[in-house]
Amino acid sequence: MDLELTAKRDGKEFTISLKGEVNTLTGPKLKELIEAELPDTDILVLDFEGCDFVSSAGLRILVNAFKVLKKRGGQMKLINIGNNFREVLNITGLDTVFGIT
Amino acid sequence: MKEIHIDSKVESIPEVMNFVRAELEALGCSGQVKAQFKMAVDELFGNICLYAYGEGTGPVSVSVGMEGDPPSAVIVFCDSGSPYNPLEADIPDIELDIEDRPVGGLGIFLIREMMDSMSYEYKDGCNVLKLTKDINHQL
Repeated sequence: MDLELTAKRDGKEFTISLKGEVNTLTGPKLKELIEAELPDTDILVLDFEGCDFVSSAGLRILVNAFKVLKKRGGQMKLINIGNNFREVLNITGLDTVFGIT
Repeated sequence: MKEIHIDSKVESIPEVMNFVRAELEALGCSGQVKAQFKMAVDELFGNICLYAYGEGTGPVSVSVGMEGDPPSAVIVFCDSGSPYNPLEADIPDIELDIEDRPVGGLGIFLIREMMDSMSYEYKDGCNVLKLTKDINHQL
């Protein structure tokens, strides 16, 4: 399954809406977009309304982005998390690290 | 066991996913178990594609079946690339502060947590990785 990304910028807040799956094949697409926008971003919002499959390749991208933002006082928010992705976050302990709503 | 033979290319991941999903459906696996195997296929087949044959590609077989009582779904990955035992990978300390946590190692950790068993052997020049999971398991 492919990954569709819809992006929106509001000043220093950058929102990406994901549709599809974040996996080994599609992960690089998300990574490129985040890396390109991160320098101008203080708040990164990732909307998982249309995406409930995030493999470890995706987790690595999120952890990296979180680390970069945290280092300069920024934040990352994950919203509309589905059950499968929530289970993955719980198992890896990332549910208590990331801002999840 | 049903088996698929495929090249170790990340572009092959969807084909492997489709094969595994169809077989797990035929075995009557719950939706959650299918989602967990999907995670395993992405990580393990993905690793084979990226690392087993260095810069090149090579043959991989993926088998799906059922064994035991209560019934467990079984997936076996075989490649003839460099010997590598993923079970010897360092287990990440998920209690550590995020700053101190290594970014890698999460994938294998996740799969080990999700599966009932995971075993590795190097046999006849092949890396053989076997995963099992109770088909009706709910986490």
